[in-house]
Amino acid sequence: MSLNPAAAAETFIDYAALRALVVDDSPGMRSALRLTLSNFGITKIQMAANAAEAIFQIKNRPCDFILCDFNLGEGRDGQQLLEELRHSHLISLETVFMMVTAESFYEKVVATAELAPDDYMIKPFSAEVLRSRLEGILLRKRAFAQVYRHFEAQELDQAIAGCDVLMRSKPKYAVDAMRFKGELLVAAGRFDEAEALYQQVISMRAIPWARLGLARAMHMQQKDEAAETELRDVLEHAPEMVSAYDLLSDVCIAQKNAAGAQAALEQGVAISAKTVRRQQKLGEVAHANGDLDTARNAFTQAVEKGRHSIFVTPADYGNLCRVQIEQGDLKAVAETLKKNKGTLQASPEGQLVMAVTQGMAHTRGGNLQEAAKALDEAASLRASGTRGDAQLMLDLAGTCMAHGRNEEADAIVGEVARNAHDSDALLAKAKRIYDEAGRTDAGSGVLSAATGDVRKLNNEGVVLAQRGDFRGAIDKLATACREAPFNPRIIMNTVWVILKYIEQAGMDEAMIATARSYLAEAERQAPGHARLAGLRLQLKEIETRFGIQRKSAA
Amino acid sequence: MSFDGNDFYAALIHELKNSLGLLSMSIERIPLQGTAEHDTPVDEARLLCQGVIDRLNQALLIYKAANGAIHPMIDAASPHDLVHELAGQTLSLARGRLQVETAVADEVPALWFFDRDLVDMALINAVHNALRYAQATIRIEAAMRDGCLALTVRDDSSGYPDHVLESVAAGAPIRASGTGLGLQFGRMIAQSHDNLGRRGELRLSNDGGAVFELLLP
Repeated sequence: MSLNPAAAAETFIDYAALRALVVDDSPGMRSALRLTLSNFGITKIQMAANAAEAIFQIKNRPCDFILCDFNLGEGRDGQQLLEELRHSHLISLETVFMMVTAESFYEKVVATAELAPDDYMIKPFSAEVLRSRLEGILLRKRAFAQVYRHFEAQELDQAIAGCDVLMRSKPKYAVDAMRFKGELLVAAGRFDEAEALYQQVISMRAIPWARLGLARAMHMQQKDEAAETELRDVLEHAPEMVSAYDLLSDVCIAQKNAAGAQAALEQGVAISAKTVRRQQKLGEVAHANGDLDTARNAFTQAVEKGRHSIFVTPADYGNLCRVQIEQGDLKAVAETLKKNKGTLQASPEGQLVMAVTQGMAHTRGGNLQEAAKALDEAASLRASGTRGDAQLMLDLAGTCMAHGRNEEADAIVGEVARNAHDSDALLAKAKRIYDEAGRTDAGSGVLSAATGDVRKLNNEGVVLAQRGDFRGAIDKLATACREAPFNPRIIMNTVWVILKYIEQAGMDEAMIATARSYLAEAERQAPGHARLAGLRLQLKEIETRFGIQRKSAA
Repeated sequence: MSFDGNDFYAALIHELKNSLGLLSMSIERIPLQGTAEHDTPVDEARLLCQGVIDRLNQALLIYKAANGAIHPMIDAASPHDLVHELAGQTLSLARGRLQVETAVADEVPALWFFDRDLVDMALINAVHNALRYAQATIRIEAAMRDGCLALTVRDDSSGYPDHVLESVAAGAPIRASGTGLGLQFGRMIAQSHDNLGRRGELRLSNDGGAVFELLLP
């Protein structure tokens, strides 16, 4: 016991003020956990029996501490709940999330997932152990509070500086501070510094997360060969490290090793099949590799495991049906659509997936009248502004062509090509559709016109910017954006020149508002794109320099 | 769902462990009455129950460890927190029957690299042993020894029997049920930790009681 009042205040935790949420599917366990928490003074306790209830409770009343059983029966498990809460910003970094598991070593796999809970409690545990673990985490979060606030305000430089202070002043949290700093450096696009930092951790001890961080920093700098060597070695020592397989697949794709990427994802799925995004990626890679059985299985898993997950979109149903059609299994397509009718009809995007898939399937099955009906439905959805992913739109174009609706098809392909003027894979697929329809010449006309316009505008804009004519560059690129509203590359270029222009010519309120909304759009279209962090940082710097405070949506 | 034989046993152990967990919570709710004929058997039941749970956890760990090798998940952890957490756990297990002391030497760094859960398991085993034999005091200590972090559970019992000390020193399998199994397990955990060619060790000695020491490189 410390007699120093200042130190005592620093480690005092007011359990009576702590808002807790217990998530467990067994009523007996829920009340036992409630009793455990009340043992050390936590009285504000809410209960949830499953993930959906937990989300509902948290939306209604935020909480500081979530104690969640990993196994929640049918539906989402604790890890999926955690991913969803963090992904949708329903809980902040300051919220404590502790996972209760039945045993330490099977579910430890999840500990190495990208999003790990703050700690694990292995059932059964005593109130004493829970209290001391919780206290440790609360004190650590208290030490990191300022850093987290900077991070959540996207003030990455200040957050990084805060980590540096913790590394010097709080030896107990030094490694935690280094770990978070590494993630911040990657988010800020400072990959070489991240690499050096991870090397520094590894020189103390070759901890798997530091080696994974090192591999990621190298991958971001296109040092993919070195990244691959590092990852393969990590996996040899820690084969249960699932997120290493995800990164390995990215590294393989960067090296144009599609088979290697698929193998890595298959290994990851073999360890943990529940992650929807891993299954989606495996499906896409396997589909591109022509391995339809694997692709079908992965897309099925994605749709099944993620039945209530926010990570599942109408595109996933479209992907599954596409594979089923390519396999000639029209019965399965009908079943998939029937089974998920409610989900798909709930949004225009879902309706478009249904219409396109039905159009394709009926065409394939020779039921041309039904197919035409489906195409009409797709056309009217498209006319009202509904769009799908590029694959789906190309499927639609291909089906239109099969019905002689060439004009419609050309318009769709033109749109896809404008939005993906630099994607070889999509342009190749578009070209194949024309080849198959015997319209090779028409296709090269449509494609070169579409990509040519956008490429020309983009290139002219970039050249003007390089010459220092940012105003002229903005005009060119803004036109390109109107032509290709779903092309994140162009949108990011536009943001970049607007920021350059303001740096040069001074503040322009309208311009910076445009830059902000373009950036938000790019983030929506290409989440996690390597350029986004840098642009966000530049925008922030300019706002700070010119003293603009983003209006909070009060 | 189909099980092969081993998975079935693992699931069974699981089930038993969870039921015992609930049983242990029920026992904890029995109020003490201040009379030996009531309190002593309740206390014994409680300790025994906790001991069986810990043993089942070990069984699961050994089952999961492919080919008998344990793969620790090494990360930075605070030896200070570990000692205090374990002391708190010991205190609540002892329920005022024994005194629990802690000591962390000045030279112990703020952080060390080890698998907290595994080391915790090994130490709690030693604590159970000490709870059974100690007269009045259990001491939990952290210090630096030969460049390793030394985590120690010390009691004031009559100490380990000679054949146990000899087997551990010789690295031979440890006979004697109960205690022997726990020690075997502690040694597996210690040895699973290695760093720069140096392996962890389990050292036992008698020094005013039984001394259980894990050395982590």
